[in-house]
Amino acid sequence: MKIDGTNTLPASVDTVWKTINDPEALRRCTPGLKELKAISPDNYAATLQIGIAAVKGTYAGTLRITDKQAPTHYRIILEGTGGAGFMKGEGTVDLEPQGDGTLLKWVGDIQIGGLIAGVGQRMLGGIGKMLIGQFFKCLEESLGSGS
Amino acid sequence: MSTRYAGARVPRNEDPALLRGRGLFVDDLALPNLAHAAVLRSPHAHARIVRIDAGRARRAPGVAAVLTHADLGEFGGPLPMLIPHPTLIHPKTQQPLASSVVRHVGEPVALVVAESRYAAEDASDLIEVEYAPLPAAVDLTAAAAPGAPLVHANTGTNVCAHYTQRVGDVEHAMALAPHRFRERLVVDRGTASPIETRGVVASWDPRTQRLEIWDSTQAPIPIRNGLAAMFHLPQPSVRVVAPDVGGGFGPKVMMFYPEEILVPLAAMRLGRPVKWIEDRREHFVATNQEREQIHDAEIGLDETGRILALRTVFLYDAGAYCPYGLIVPIVASTTLPGPYRLPNYHAEFNAVFTNKTTVSPYRGAGRPHGVFVMERLLDRAACELGIDRTEIRRRNLIQPDEFPYAVGLIYQDNAPVEYDSGNYPRCLEHATEMIGYAGWADQQAAYRAAGRCVGLGVACYVEGTGIGPYEGCRVTVDPSGKVFVSTGVGTQGQGHMTSFAQLVADQLGVTPRDVVVRTGDTDGFRWGTGTFASRAAVVAGTAASLAAQAVREKTQLVAATLLEARPKEIDLAEGKVFVRGVPARALSLGEVAAAANPLRFAMPAEWEGPGLEATRYFAPPRGTFSNGVHACIVEVDPETGMVSLLRYVVVHDCGRLINPMIVEGQIHGGVAQGIGGAYWEKLAYDAQGQPLATTFMDYLLPTAVEVPPIEVGHEETPTPLNPLGVKGAGEAGVIPVGAAIAQAVEDALRPFDIHITEMPLSPNRVRQLVAKARRTP
Repeated sequence: MKIDGTNTLPASVDTVWKTINDPEALRRCTPGLKELKAISPDNYAATLQIGIAAVKGTYAGTLRITDKQAPTHYRIILEGTGGAGFMKGEGTVDLEPQGDGTLLKWVGDIQIGGLIAGVGQRMLGGIGKMLIGQFFKCLEESLGSGS
Repeated sequence: MSTRYAGARVPRNEDPALLRGRGLFVDDLALPNLAHAAVLRSPHAHARIVRIDAGRARRAPGVAAVLTHADLGEFGGPLPMLIPHPTLIHPKTQQPLASSVVRHVGEPVALVVAESRYAAEDASDLIEVEYAPLPAAVDLTAAAAPGAPLVHANTGTNVCAHYTQRVGDVEHAMALAPHRFRERLVVDRGTASPIETRGVVASWDPRTQRLEIWDSTQAPIPIRNGLAAMFHLPQPSVRVVAPDVGGGFGPKVMMFYPEEILVPLAAMRLGRPVKWIEDRREHFVATNQEREQIHDAEIGLDETGRILALRTVFLYDAGAYCPYGLIVPIVASTTLPGPYRLPNYHAEFNAVFTNKTTVSPYRGAGRPHGVFVMERLLDRAACELGIDRTEIRRRNLIQPDEFPYAVGLIYQDNAPVEYDSGNYPRCLEHATEMIGYAGWADQQAAYRAAGRCVGLGVACYVEGTGIGPYEGCRVTVDPSGKVFVSTGVGTQGQGHMTSFAQLVADQLGVTPRDVVVRTGDTDGFRWGTGTFASRAAVVAGTAASLAAQAVREKTQLVAATLLEARPKEIDLAEGKVFVRGVPARALSLGEVAAAANPLRFAMPAEWEGPGLEATRYFAPPRGTFSNGVHACIVEVDPETGMVSLLRYVVVHDCGRLINPMIVEGQIHGGVAQGIGGAYWEKLAYDAQGQPLATTFMDYLLPTAVEVPPIEVGHEETPTPLNPLGVKGAGEAGVIPVGAAIAQAVEDALRPFDIHITEMPLSPNRVRQLVAKARRTP
């Protein structure tokens, strides 16, 4: 399932870049993230707790950041498996200045499998957008309070 | 001989128990010390298994055993190839548990046995499986193309078979045909959805060295034979019972499903009985499915609408493995000609692996596809040539004096397709009369004037039934006067307990209530093949009648001695055995049975053994062909896309009827499944091969609201291929439903001029068709 969107954030490209690379900000803002442990730079062990449709599940996996072109571009890959199946989200983030703030463009591709796919697939687009929306709203708030 | 019961609407022997909740289904079985199994299944359509760690699961509370492929030893597979075919060059079957690659969502990876199903499922969550996902072949056309991801890495192609059947010279005839029409016709995936999912209980007795299996299968005897071979046991050391089975419809005639190996294996290893019951979500991914085919077809006709040539080249979606060989596409190819003269015909298919659940026959088994193609082409031709749709069919029908009619093809039983008997024009007349075709134009005009889109559809079919190789039956009269009948064909709701009882009752002068039919227990009858291809009444029914006839003769022989008469003078009626014309000189049938088993003194040599008992087998030379016509009236709401069935008529000829009520029940159920396949039921997959309809919220079965009252008309043209003159009726209801509904929906929306080339439709799809219609009214 491919989804995309844009967000305008009230901070400079450099500040936004720093925030979206900050493990603490990622931990605070990624919805359902219960644990994030750095394994190596840009590579984290993650535990997620997410409900899709009627299926709440805990997923153990990894969060990786690759293809970094500071301060404007990276690829983020989130993978998890659990009793309710597996999920894999992969996306790119591009930053460009927009007035005083930053325009953040994201493109994501979400795959789910197993039980969650069987019962949740048709909700996935909406839920994916909602979760990503929550992520950026949280970032926006962090940046807003920081400035 | 009395024929009081055969042909009568006898209430079903099986119903009192089933309606009172006294049936015995696999899940009803409670054995001491029973353990429960759960299966861990692949969440990926295609992936390499990098690592499996079952350590935590093995240590979990209540867990008795965890099996992965590494634990299976010699039972690791691949499983047997059920039905090979010379053109099936890649006969791939699955392993009971995947070793290194999973090829569809739902493929078993591990079996957990525990004290309860809860404990087993909780422990299966603890098994860590690391998968490396592989690209999946999902779309049928894409999977068949060069360069597609390979379902089986070592085949070089997903095309596992390429097979062509031909009659006449299609190229020549097509080139000369003044009118030619092409269509691409698509039928999508569906699933049979029996009320009872699959289930297996196995018990191993180390003292008697005997394995007992209760299995919700349509083929207990082949399962017994296969398990005996696999576990190196003589066949009498394995008992397989298919108790009450809550619907089969084809997918339960596999050998083997992985669980049919794994559960007995676990029971033998643990020395305690094990039960596995498939849940509905598993059923949607782990029980075989059917129906996806894409036909590129062309028809050539002369000026009068007579068919000169027909060609179809099609893709058949085999799913991830092909244990059932090419039965479905062969049945589709050979059913397509239907009741029509087809002098030049070319059917060619590629069977294609995809990363989806394995395909094997589901009620209809390719027949609905063949009929959909033929009937859609005739509808197109009728429309383009300006010939009435019933008239174009009439002009092409095989006539009653042309039987036996050799179609020129080879059927699924490897015998020539030769229609044995029938009266196709009369069936068409009967159906058009019942639906009121003569007055339809006026009626439709009235509907249109009232702003309603109402349409009529008519579709014809011929159905191959009653194939061999054989079935057998043993009939025994008990001293109580009850008659016991044992046969190898299992029963899944078809009414065998009644139909067979009627045949036996007529021979022995008792009522069907006095006849107890036992099926599906390999200890009850050792020989047989299974319940499939609408064959039970034809093959096992004939065997039952022959065995009962032999018992009748034995009864006459024994009673002749007791009543001091000649055997030929002995009659059997109303449970009594008496001298013809002297009803006072009578014994009960039970008394004769007791006398046939003497305790002392010499037994007459001509009795050839004790008791009133006989076993007979019937092996038909080839299948017998039923036929029929469906007609329906639908109303379509072009705004919402909703299709409502206002009337549904089936005229059906399955030869002599044993029980018209049971045949009608078979037709009702089939039509309901056909309506599902025409409009509601669709197994959608996403681009990665994830199934999107794995609950009944997403996979929509028609309910009583969507299924109209079904009006059935019977024709009876006996077959010469068995002494009863009967043909099969199990699949008739489902076969032409898609074709009839497509025509009716087009007819209803004629002002929009829509064109239907696919099944199933849906409200959404009808709306799309209206939106892109060639005309706006």
